[in-house]
Amino acid sequence: MSVCAPAIQQAAVTAEYVNPLITATRSVFEMMLGCVPTRTGLRLKESGETSQDVSAVIGISGRAQGTIVVSLTRESACAVLEKMIGDVETEITPAVCDAVGELTNMIAGAAKAQLAKYELSISLPNVIAGHKYVMHSPSDVTPLILSFNSEIGPFWIEVAFTGI
Amino acid sequence: MRVLLVDDSGTMRTIQKRCLAKLGIEDIVEAEDGVQALQHFGQGQFDIVLTDWNMPKMDGLTLLKELRQINKEIPIIMITTEAERARVVLAIQCGVSDYLVKPFTPEGLKEKIEKWVTVTT
Repeated sequence: MSVCAPAIQQAAVTAEYVNPLITATRSVFEMMLGCVPTRTGLRLKESGETSQDVSAVIGISGRAQGTIVVSLTRESACAVLEKMIGDVETEITPAVCDAVGELTNMIAGAAKAQLAKYELSISLPNVIAGHKYVMHSPSDVTPLILSFNSEIGPFWIEVAFTGI
Repeated sequence: MRVLLVDDSGTMRTIQKRCLAKLGIEDIVEAEDGVQALQHFGQGQFDIVLTDWNMPKMDGLTLLKELRQINKEIPIIMITTEAERARVVLAIQCGVSDYLVKPFTPEGLKEKIEKWVTVTT
């Protein structure tokens, strides 16, 4: 019993910020993209693991600190723009990056609202586009990766928090 | 009907412009941040201001305070991801007329605008 207690406590802590993120993601996708994503996995990020074609990063500060990263394939990112405003792109353009950034902003904002007791602030989204880049987190934090599938294709949300 | 639309996301401005167009509102001046918005506001007459909160250079709350120094009457609607009660209260204390949380539906935006200005479609 005593051996399992820390693991149970850690799971509860993880659920405290992962569940609002999942709820927020579903809600924002449904309202902005007209589709409900399905969660396909939850795992720890591996050291040196590369990100997808497009990643939107939002910093979190307040009584907890961290980052939320939404990563998409090129096809999924282009589909975000098309679903949001109807514009069709096949490459990663500034418009695609803007749409992914705004989508991420809404997900982070909706999750933050469910974590009001931590008095969090979110940064403006920064969007990274490229191929096989590695995003590093502070050495004392191993990010969690939530994977989803949806009508626009697969996408991933990486979350790293300290203070929760 | 002339609208000052302030949001750093071009995607979000497009979404809002399309909602406004459905209300017959085509005279829209866009700004990407509070600084641009203040410049536009000083150069023309507007009937309503729609503004984001989190923006570079000057955020929406600062813009709100600045606008209220100039004009205490114009309807200003904050459209933002900032959904916590404390943020809404702060915006109200700074003089916001109404508040809409992102993501929103076209109907939600229409309802807010029609509450503050008379639109003829």
